[in-house]
Amino acid sequence: MNRISRAAFAAALLMLPSLRAAAVEEQPPHPGATLAPAPERDSASIPEPDEMRLSQISGFATLGMVATGSRDVRFIRPSVNHPGGENPDFGPDTVIGVHGDIPLGPRAALVLQAISRESTLGSFDPRASLAFVSYAVTPNVTVRMGRVRVPFFMLSETIDINYANPWIRPPTEVYSLNPFNELDGIDFLVRTGIGGVNIEIHPYYGSSILPIYQGGHSHLSNTRGLNISVAAGPLTLFVGHAESEFALKWSGNDFLALSAALNAVTPNAANILGKLSGNDGFSTFSALGAQWDDGRWLLIGEYTRLNSRRYTHDAHAWEVTVARRFGNFTPYLTLARHTEDEPVSTDTTGIAQIDGALRAFIASRNLSQRSVTLGTRWDFYRNTALKLEFNHARISGESWGSFFARDPMNARMRDRSINTLGVSVDVTF
Amino acid sequence: MHNTLGAFVFSVLALMTTAPLAGPAETPGKAAQPAGVVIVTSGGIKVLSREEAAQLFLGQRTTLRDGTPVTLIDLPAGPARNHFYRELTGKNPVQVRANWSRLVFSGRVRPPREAASQSEALELLARTPNAIGYLPADAGDKRLKVLLSLSEN
Repeated sequence: MNRISRAAFAAALLMLPSLRAAAVEEQPPHPGATLAPAPERDSASIPEPDEMRLSQISGFATLGMVATGSRDVRFIRPSVNHPGGENPDFGPDTVIGVHGDIPLGPRAALVLQAISRESTLGSFDPRASLAFVSYAVTPNVTVRMGRVRVPFFMLSETIDINYANPWIRPPTEVYSLNPFNELDGIDFLVRTGIGGVNIEIHPYYGSSILPIYQGGHSHLSNTRGLNISVAAGPLTLFVGHAESEFALKWSGNDFLALSAALNAVTPNAANILGKLSGNDGFSTFSALGAQWDDGRWLLIGEYTRLNSRRYTHDAHAWEVTVARRFGNFTPYLTLARHTEDEPVSTDTTGIAQIDGALRAFIASRNLSQRSVTLGTRWDFYRNTALKLEFNHARISGESWGSFFARDPMNARMRDRSINTLGVSVDVTF
Repeated sequence: MHNTLGAFVFSVLALMTTAPLAGPAETPGKAAQPAGVVIVTSGGIKVLSREEAAQLFLGQRTTLRDGTPVTLIDLPAGPARNHFYRELTGKNPVQVRANWSRLVFSGRVRPPREAASQSEALELLARTPNAIGYLPADAGDKRLKVLLSLSEN
């Protein structure tokens, strides 16, 4: 998407709440308004009970901008958005979603949601983020079939619904550890409780696919997972675990050039490449989280771990956020860290130039960094929040962190500190 | 780059200047409602505990203990609604909205039906089977039954 259409998209996003307000104000008066007395007009517009079962349309949007302090790098949400060519960049955080809920009887409903956000391919084409039929088997057990959010993290369900979160975006150190968005399959929501404690048990099964920047795709299949969350008063605890077969196929020019070079110089090329790309992977992912929200203080902590047999590194990440509400202002401080436990590959060929390219490729797959974020949320208008945050990140070792080098083959990312400034407006409608 | 930045700044300014036309921002901590609030139903529903009511209006359950599905009716955004949620759940308007946006946009529950006015809320409550809503204590209606009284101050 070019610069102008991107700006137009962004402007259209912000127009939404005001357009909606205008639509309400400009509604023509009720036909009977001048004839009928007010109370009758009022009751004439009341829908019959049956009409109340009609579908409901609502939505959410964020217009977000990130400015990066270093010219040779771009801030990205790894495997989520396309490395932007602009600074400041509207790509990482800007999103709009439209949500519809259509009842199919007393126990069933069809839920459809389309979102538009910058993909890894740089497109804002809308995609179905939810498309499922839910059925309440009992008052406490719901089964959903179709496309749901893949619930790997504590806050997976609100990754795009920034209004529901204190930050501009969930900390990238943690939330880039597993970039998949949707799960095509089935899940169960089982709610139970003891005294004032609410427990939700959430098993799921399905598959996910994600396109890769510069070409290729990443695929999870036969994914099975179980989440348990326990809420008591202001405290919510979350634990989740998932296992999945994993395929990662690179077909971008950089990878094809690297493959060709390896094939030309070493008989071991197939073995080296087989650790980078293929469809014989297996991954496990675990998350542990806690939230405290007593109305004044909001504390969030999450720890996640990824282990993968091939194609992606083993890593763990954590974040801790402390936020305090002062009227409509909620300042927050976040500390986060992403640590690689085992790189994708440590192979070498003995040929300096090719090893350099191989190292650069593997470094680009390493997201290790730590950061401190200081920001504030300002609920300045109904259903609308303005957020401003400053992030100071330090890349750890041979890694690219949450950044993408403008010149990948000559990137100097090692142990760098990079500052970013973000501004966003979140709305729900 | 300048065009993009310009468009962003323009959009933010446009929003901030047009927004107040539709009404002021909700300010948690302010807007105390002198009258108490009552939770009401049209009938059919016999009893409702305070805990059940809080769970319903926080989207933590969609049915009564006996499995009866209920329709929730919200008053339009404003002091009466804010007072109700603060009394029942202890949450301010921003927390309530953030909570519902999480639940609704993840496809877990439907939000309460928002009435355009108090009189519409009254009508919806009276006409809809198994509807639960809330009203200022002095806005009662013969067709409605009071299930819970939240505050008398």
